[in-house]
Amino acid sequence: MRAVLKYTALTLFAIPWVLVPVWLVVVNSFKPAGEAAELGLGLPRTWAIAENYGIVLDRGGYLTGLVNSLKVTVPIVVAVVLLGAAAAWAFGRSRSRWLQAAYFVMGLSILLPPSIIPTVYLLRALSLDGGSLGYVLTMTGCRLGIVIFLATGFVRAFPRDLEDAAAIDGASRPQVFVRILLPLLRPVLFVGGVILIINVWNDFFFALFLLQGSANATLPLSLFQFASGTLQSLNWNLVFAHVLLTTLPLVAVYVVAQKRVLAGLTEGALKG
Amino acid sequence: MVMRNRAAWLPWALPAIVLVTVFFVAPFLLNVRFAFSSWTSFRAEITWNGLENVRTLIDQDLLANAVTVTVLYAILCMAIQNTVSLSLALALQRTSGINTVFRSAFFLPTLISPLAAGYIWRGLLAPDGAVNSFLGIEWAWLGEPSTALVVVAFIDAWKWSGLITLVYIAGLNSIPKALLESATVDGAGPWTRLRRVVFPMLAPALTFNVAVTLVGALSAYDVIAATTGGGPGDHTRALNVVMRQQWGQGFFGSASALGFTVTLLVIATAVPLVWWLRRREVTG
Repeated sequence: MRAVLKYTALTLFAIPWVLVPVWLVVVNSFKPAGEAAELGLGLPRTWAIAENYGIVLDRGGYLTGLVNSLKVTVPIVVAVVLLGAAAAWAFGRSRSRWLQAAYFVMGLSILLPPSIIPTVYLLRALSLDGGSLGYVLTMTGCRLGIVIFLATGFVRAFPRDLEDAAAIDGASRPQVFVRILLPLLRPVLFVGGVILIINVWNDFFFALFLLQGSANATLPLSLFQFASGTLQSLNWNLVFAHVLLTTLPLVAVYVVAQKRVLAGLTEGALKG
Repeated sequence: MVMRNRAAWLPWALPAIVLVTVFFVAPFLLNVRFAFSSWTSFRAEITWNGLENVRTLIDQDLLANAVTVTVLYAILCMAIQNTVSLSLALALQRTSGINTVFRSAFFLPTLISPLAAGYIWRGLLAPDGAVNSFLGIEWAWLGEPSTALVVVAFIDAWKWSGLITLVYIAGLNSIPKALLESATVDGAGPWTRLRRVVFPMLAPALTFNVAVTLVGALSAYDVIAATTGGGPGDHTRALNVVMRQQWGQGFFGSASALGFTVTLLVIATAVPLVWWLRRREVTG
């Protein structure tokens, strides 16, 4: 009886919290402009799926945005995970004062907000402003801290025996790293990776300052440029079509890996 | 043993150290200089000008309002997010089929970009939108000075509560079963168990979530940009919103000063908060 009550309450909460927002986006992205302007939840009287999505793909710069988003997300995630794991190994094992001081700075970089305006200045000085390389390097530098912090705790908790045994057997350091450390760190790197992917794919603030021109725009940036294009009122049918297409890649990945993501985040979030 | 050689560890940490130094630490230090400089798009050289930027921002009535809005917003976000997430976590703590379905449903908003979340709720909360037609009223949720900030904070909570819930579930699951059982044996009801066992044991997760939600909301920008743009008037004009405006107008020094203010707020919030909550973990 209590369970019935609980799940009824949860369902009643989930309807306005999840179902209605999703439904609003989907159904209005199928309507012609005038009808979508009413922002109703009813089915379209006239269907305009092909027109809306055609415009978003064509004029909304969606495909360019998709390619750009992939072009920055993949290198950032790979770099942060690999360089973060390597650094965590060093921070967890070395007793050098210099490295411990560096580890402290990594901790600060998680807490303190990145200084975006001097970053623009710096990238300009390095002739890296406006393009994806500068963005990738900046995001990597600003996001490394969290993975290093999580993984260093893990490394410290592991006994050294496995690494030592492998070294005695003649494994080189890179071999020990790839064969022993990375597999051991997999749970925490997975959690860090998931949070990182969501974070980087959805980033708008950094992109707004660091990426210039529509040729470099990632999906959130192209959504913003697209939505801001109409000054007076938003073209809701097109904005929602863009929102749906922008969110879709992440949702698709999530649906495939859903069990692992949820289990990883619930079990791995607090360890380390 | 090769692995005991101390200097040999440096190459493994070096790429990360270089990237963090160049792209996080250096901008951080430069910001302190730029915040007190006459850097604008109208003059080529950047010269030290002390508190001139701060004075200008105060004269334009921008600074005090932005700080108030930002701090209020952060507190609202923290309170709403943690209330919603903790309630969901308590309801969905046990791993079962039906709970997994609900967990993934409530996780969905986390996958949506804050910008898109802003647009979605701007649609739902429009004067002629779904929320008003359901309630049978015509309230301009985002256009009303008294409610705009709370509504935007609520949208931010909507976007993040899925993730925060999972951290609370992790915290709940780390409480030893034996402890709860012995409390039950000793005659503690559900409410007493919650108050006397669960909450004290949940302190690490609470520490993490309160700190993360507060600090995260101090850097708010995306949701505000997509919903109110800082309005009505200046009621949701948080520090980063003013920073972006100053930047857009070419006042780079003032923009840096606003960014530096965010940093100071984060330090002022995070240091005592983490210290206090950590102490609570030990004594509680």
